[in-house]
Amino acid sequence: MKNYEVIKMKLSIYIRIIFSSLLFMSGMVVHAQTIPLTVISHPADAPADLKQSELKSILLGEKQRWKNGKKIEVALLKTSTAAGKEVCTKVYDMSADEVKKYWLAMVFQGKAEAPSFFNTVGELQAFVSENPGAIGIVDQIPNSPGIQVVMVDGKKTF
Amino acid sequence: MHLNSSVFSKFLLRSLGVAVFYLCISVCMNAQSTLIKGFIDAGITYEKDKVAFNFGEQDLFITSKLSDRFSFLGETVFKFDSHSETNFSVSIERVVLKYNINGNHNLLIGKHHTPLNYWNDTYHHGRLFFPTIDRPLLFSAGIVPLHTTGISLQGHDLGKLKWGYDLMIGNGLGSADVSDNDNHKSYTAAIHCKPVDRLRIGASYYYDVISAGAEIHQEVVPQQVNQQLYTGSVSYFGKKIEVLAEATTGVNQTDSTGNAQTLAMYVYGGYKLSEKWIPYFRFDKINYDEEELFYNNNDATAYLLGLRYQVNYLVVLKLEYQHEEHEVGDDNDRVKFQAAIGF
Repeated sequence: MKNYEVIKMKLSIYIRIIFSSLLFMSGMVVHAQTIPLTVISHPADAPADLKQSELKSILLGEKQRWKNGKKIEVALLKTSTAAGKEVCTKVYDMSADEVKKYWLAMVFQGKAEAPSFFNTVGELQAFVSENPGAIGIVDQIPNSPGIQVVMVDGKKTF
Repeated sequence: MHLNSSVFSKFLLRSLGVAVFYLCISVCMNAQSTLIKGFIDAGITYEKDKVAFNFGEQDLFITSKLSDRFSFLGETVFKFDSHSETNFSVSIERVVLKYNINGNHNLLIGKHHTPLNYWNDTYHHGRLFFPTIDRPLLFSAGIVPLHTTGISLQGHDLGKLKWGYDLMIGNGLGSADVSDNDNHKSYTAAIHCKPVDRLRIGASYYYDVISAGAEIHQEVVPQQVNQQLYTGSVSYFGKKIEVLAEATTGVNQTDSTGNAQTLAMYVYGGYKLSEKWIPYFRFDKINYDEEELFYNNNDATAYLLGLRYQVNYLVVLKLEYQHEEHEVGDDNDRVKFQAAIGF
């Protein structure tokens, strides 16, 4: 009996360890697959919500002014960051290199100004809060009076 | 080859002058967003049993945001020029002052690449962006005017189909960058749309009167030519497949020949084996009217097979086999390698 209870106890511990490990690993896999993104803007000019297609049009340099005529200033995290890579995939449907080449070509053709690229979320948020017309994408929902969260297709993150 | 020292000094002074000009612009505009970039290529050619090393144009490119609505773009090229005493020359390829009128509508003034077709309007002098090593034959054959100095209205990404347009009036062929050689102006009207992602369909019309005595590509035009160019283009650069096809019909009318109609076209196709490796081909064809006097009347066919390797967005390597035939003259085969970079 005693042996049986010891075995049962050990088995229970092993199962808990395995189950916890699986839970932990599945969380890592989910995290590696996708990063929720949030669109932020200076509160003065950008709308409170956008369609995904409109957001893409802005980030491709196709739409260059807000309805009130204010110039759109695009702010992005560098493509070497995890969130920057996620923007390339989710919004541009391009690799990081393709996005950089796209913008180099647009500037070279005289069609648009390149976005401002930042190393950290803090730098990007500071730029957006200080520049009317600015819009950017980060990987966290900010809590700052100088920044507006822009809903995309009715959601705070996408 | 003997280089006259005073001539070389003049070239050096001119080049320094251009560099200082750009430096002054960037210093004066340091409160604005000023960007200086460059492009250059180097390569190896095997042709007629001979291997030759070569380098292409050094393309200096500057943009500056001057105000909320004004911006500047300049493109200057340093290139080999056998007609120059030093074998090199500096050429101002683009000087464009742009004013954003409203939304996606702009007014541009200066020297532009004539917005006649996709290749000219998209790739300019940046070999880094060329899908092939060289431009299509219709450019080296002088079928289309590469540059126009003038004024234009331009619009882009309008409506659901992302329409764009260019309406331009310029000095026309035979003119210098700073003056018009006659009372005639050139007119360009171009329109395009992007109905789905990565697809662009365009058409354009160009009209010019080239006066007798005008000098075009170091040759004097003996009689007046009324020129009309009709161009259509389709481009699709997708995730796997790349297609670019353009055709221009040039109608050159003179008193002696009436209307001479020339057709110049090319088709490019590429397939992305991966993001980095892209095999491709291009087919070029130019058929001249028998009565054609303005163009160099020599039918041409060319095809090439190539492989492009994208090291990254600033470095591209290309290897091609090219075959070219002309109605008059020998066929030509060559193998070319090019490393094109941006900096």
